[in-house]
Amino acid sequence: MWGVIKSVLAAFFGVQKEQQRREDFKQGRPMAFIVVGLVMGLIFVVGVAALAISVAR
Amino acid sequence: MRTPFVWMVGCLIGLGSMPAAVASGWNMPVGVTDLSREIHSLHMIIFWICVIIGVVVFGVMFYSLFKFRRSRGAEAANFHENTTVEVLWTAIPLLILVGMAVPATATLKKMYDASDAELDVMIIGQQWRWRYEYLGEEVAFNSSMSTPRAQIRGEESRDEHYLLEVDNPLVLPINRKVRFLMTSDDVIHSWWVPDFAVKQDTIPGFVNENWVRINEPGIYRGQCAELCGMDHGFMPIVVHAMEEEDFEVWLAERREEAEQEAMGVDREWALDELMERGETVYASICASCHQAEGQGAAPAFPALAGNQRLIDDADWHLNTILNGVSGTAMPAFRSTLNPVELAAVTTWTRNAWGNDTGDAIQPAAVVEKLANQ
Ligand code: HEC
Ligand SMILES: [Cu+2]
Repeated sequence: MWGVIKSVLAAFFGVQKEQQRREDFKQGRPMAFIVVGLVMGLIFVVGVAALAISVAR
Repeated sequence: MRTPFVWMVGCLIGLGSMPAAVASGWNMPVGVTDLSREIHSLHMIIFWICVIIGVVVFGVMFYSLFKFRRSRGAEAANFHENTTVEVLWTAIPLLILVGMAVPATATLKKMYDASDAELDVMIIGQQWRWRYEYLGEEVAFNSSMSTPRAQIRGEESRDEHYLLEVDNPLVLPINRKVRFLMTSDDVIHSWWVPDFAVKQDTIPGFVNENWVRINEPGIYRGQCAELCGMDHGFMPIVVHAMEEEDFEVWLAERREEAEQEAMGVDREWALDELMERGETVYASICASCHQAEGQGAAPAFPALAGNQRLIDDADWHLNTILNGVSGTAMPAFRSTLNPVELAAVTTWTRNAWGNDTGDAIQPAAVVEKLANQ
């Protein structure tokens, strides 16, 4: 699980180690990455909105 | 030339000529409000950040091209990834962007804060002039370009403020927060005065807000900045910023005038008086479409001179001016002109250019008509 989160974070940032990428693709189950990606995307958007709202106060 | 020395010299020459370009008038003005100064310095900081990045990136690139050229026996390195470098070139721009966003957002917040204004002015875009209404002051007027058409056609030489002069400038006090409420009667216009760092769209059906607090008295000029039709280039903005006492005097005079005008509605007007007034109103409001001699501009704008329907039917004529023709460019003037102006311009168009009906349309008759509609 922690590995999946780390890979999704790396994707957000846009940089990933080649070795880690190979590891991820060995699993053969994309669903974990998709779900974690969506959830973290949502957290990111809500976070930015919260920051903007608190600054605008 | 084995050193990066050449590149450095080149970069220094480039950098050295920047202040000249900045002072040349091509740059945005510093302006006359605290906010415009702040926006200007933001603009300059970001500009210099971009210059430094550009010099460093292109400097390294050109230096590498030169230093590691093939004729000197350089071999291309062949590797696939380098996580450290990739992290660096993602993190550095991120930090720079956030670093620029923080002060920019702080300024943006100030720009949007139109609260606690001491004076409210409604700015209304119209094809092709501006209308200014001092809310709560009973003062309102239209501001049309005053450059003569002959100068535009090249028949006369252009004067200093060619296309940037108006009959009635917007007058504002200095050192007071003035809030603008901005909308449009027809299409989207944009009220732009560079010295205030204000450029705000005026949109039919919406009211946008903006504000200024001017530091120095003076005359500031601007233009409509949203392509709005044929005479888009002919609806300039002139703002006359005055000391507060002078502004109060001006406002009182304007209020007085408005009262006089309101009283003028009840009395009987002579044909000559109406004609004199009507000529001015026509030139400032109608001539941009129906042309100076009432000849119109086929096929868009009908002629009023020698217009048989107009000559025969005074009632329809007045109605058209009051209510416009919906679905066409002909605007309704019932709320942008006062009864005296409406009566005068109707009288003028019924008698000028050989229309010669002899009719004097009375302001009182216009008031009655407005009340019955
Ligand atoms: C933005 C352009 C514009 C302006 C400004 C304008 N008009 Fe018009 N006007 C038109 C157009 C277009 C028509 C034709 C409407 C139609 O198709 O029936 C028209 C029609 C008229 C007519 C009816 C003529 C006819 O034969 O149908 C009269 C009278 C008239 N205008 C008077 C005025 C007066 C007086 C003013 C100034 C107070 C004025 N207009 C300002 C565009 C304009
Ligand atoms: Cu416009």
